[in-house]
Amino acid sequence: MKRNVIVIAVASALLGLAGCETTPGSNATLDQARAAVQEAETDPNVAKLAPTELARARNLLSNAEGSAKQHGADDQTAAHYAYLATQMARIAGQRAHEQIATARIKAGETERQQILLSARENETSDAVSQVQRLAAQLENMQASQTARGIVLTLQDVLFDTGRAQLKPGAERSLDQIAAFLNEHPERRVQIEGFTDSQGTNDFNLELSQSRADAVAMAIIQRGIDAQRVRAMGYGEDYPKAGNTNAGSRQLNRRVEIIVSNGEQAIPGRAASGTPSTHR
Amino acid sequence: MTMFSLNGIRNAFYCALAFGIVACATAPVPVEKLAVARSSIERAEQAQAAQFAQVELTSARNKYAAAQAAADKNEAEVAARMADQADVDAQLAESTARAKQQEQIVGEMDNSLRDLRNETLRRDSSGAGATTPPPQ
Repeated sequence: MKRNVIVIAVASALLGLAGCETTPGSNATLDQARAAVQEAETDPNVAKLAPTELARARNLLSNAEGSAKQHGADDQTAAHYAYLATQMARIAGQRAHEQIATARIKAGETERQQILLSARENETSDAVSQVQRLAAQLENMQASQTARGIVLTLQDVLFDTGRAQLKPGAERSLDQIAAFLNEHPERRVQIEGFTDSQGTNDFNLELSQSRADAVAMAIIQRGIDAQRVRAMGYGEDYPKAGNTNAGSRQLNRRVEIIVSNGEQAIPGRAASGTPSTHR
Repeated sequence: MTMFSLNGIRNAFYCALAFGIVACATAPVPVEKLAVARSSIERAEQAQAAQFAQVELTSARNKYAAAQAAADKNEAEVAARMADQADVDAQLAESTARAKQQEQIVGEMDNSLRDLRNETLRRDSSGAGATTPPPQ
């Protein structure tokens, strides 16, 4: 009887030892899995960004818990599932990290575009304010920014009727234009002459060309390379107004000076044969 | 006496046969699990886990080797467990590597954005003075 008790005690002790040996710390593994899954669950990003992996981790953990309940905390199957649950919870965390980083990269790219865009807008507004400054300096001239470039309009008061010689009143404006072109050596300039509809076509074409040439000459004389300057006469084409009274005819008699936006060539006028007011 | 003994041997044989069949039916060598683990390891390698998640990748490779060794010895259950663990280790290696690489890009991007902001600030403040020389 006494002997039997001892045998049972030794046997159960051996069994206990053997259990510990085959599954070292499966209890600890289970605890680790619980902690890992809980950590993933408390991170709202994980629930939102890696729900599939989180669900898998939970399933594996409940498998581990179930196996531990059925076969004891030292069960090998429980330890195995606990390990898988731990790793899956970590995978969920990493997937969430990856997606957060990807979203930040996307947001950063957007921000970069915005910075570049606003820098470009600043440059454009710089260009606009340059036009405004130039316009403010010019007497007897209007200036506007168009797709073709800065358009400066020289009214006919700077010429005598039927003549192509510039009056002294134009001097200061031409000085300012030349100074502006010196400041921006990449820009080109095109000078376009126009008349009203009085007189013959041929005479008007020639007069508009001569006036444009006179302005071009004046600019070249102020030190601007002739390569950058072009002069064209359009006669009575492209009128600004209807040629029906003295006031509108005066608007049509003009020289337009177009300063290119940057170094690209100045685009031609809309290739419509019919003379029309542009814009 | 001999009859009994013969019966005993026969019974033992049936018993062993039944055992063998049960063993074969419940635990075949987990070929599929091994293949899954193998492809997860390859994906991790492609995601540059060797550089960014070395510990996890090494663990996956070791467990895969253990799974193969167990399969060779027909220890199906051990092979299946090792293959499953190799699979999750490889998945962790892959996701860790991906996350680290994206985070590295975030770091580089933050730096370049900071430079870009500083540069435009500098240009705005210096540009305003440089482009407005009032010609007298």
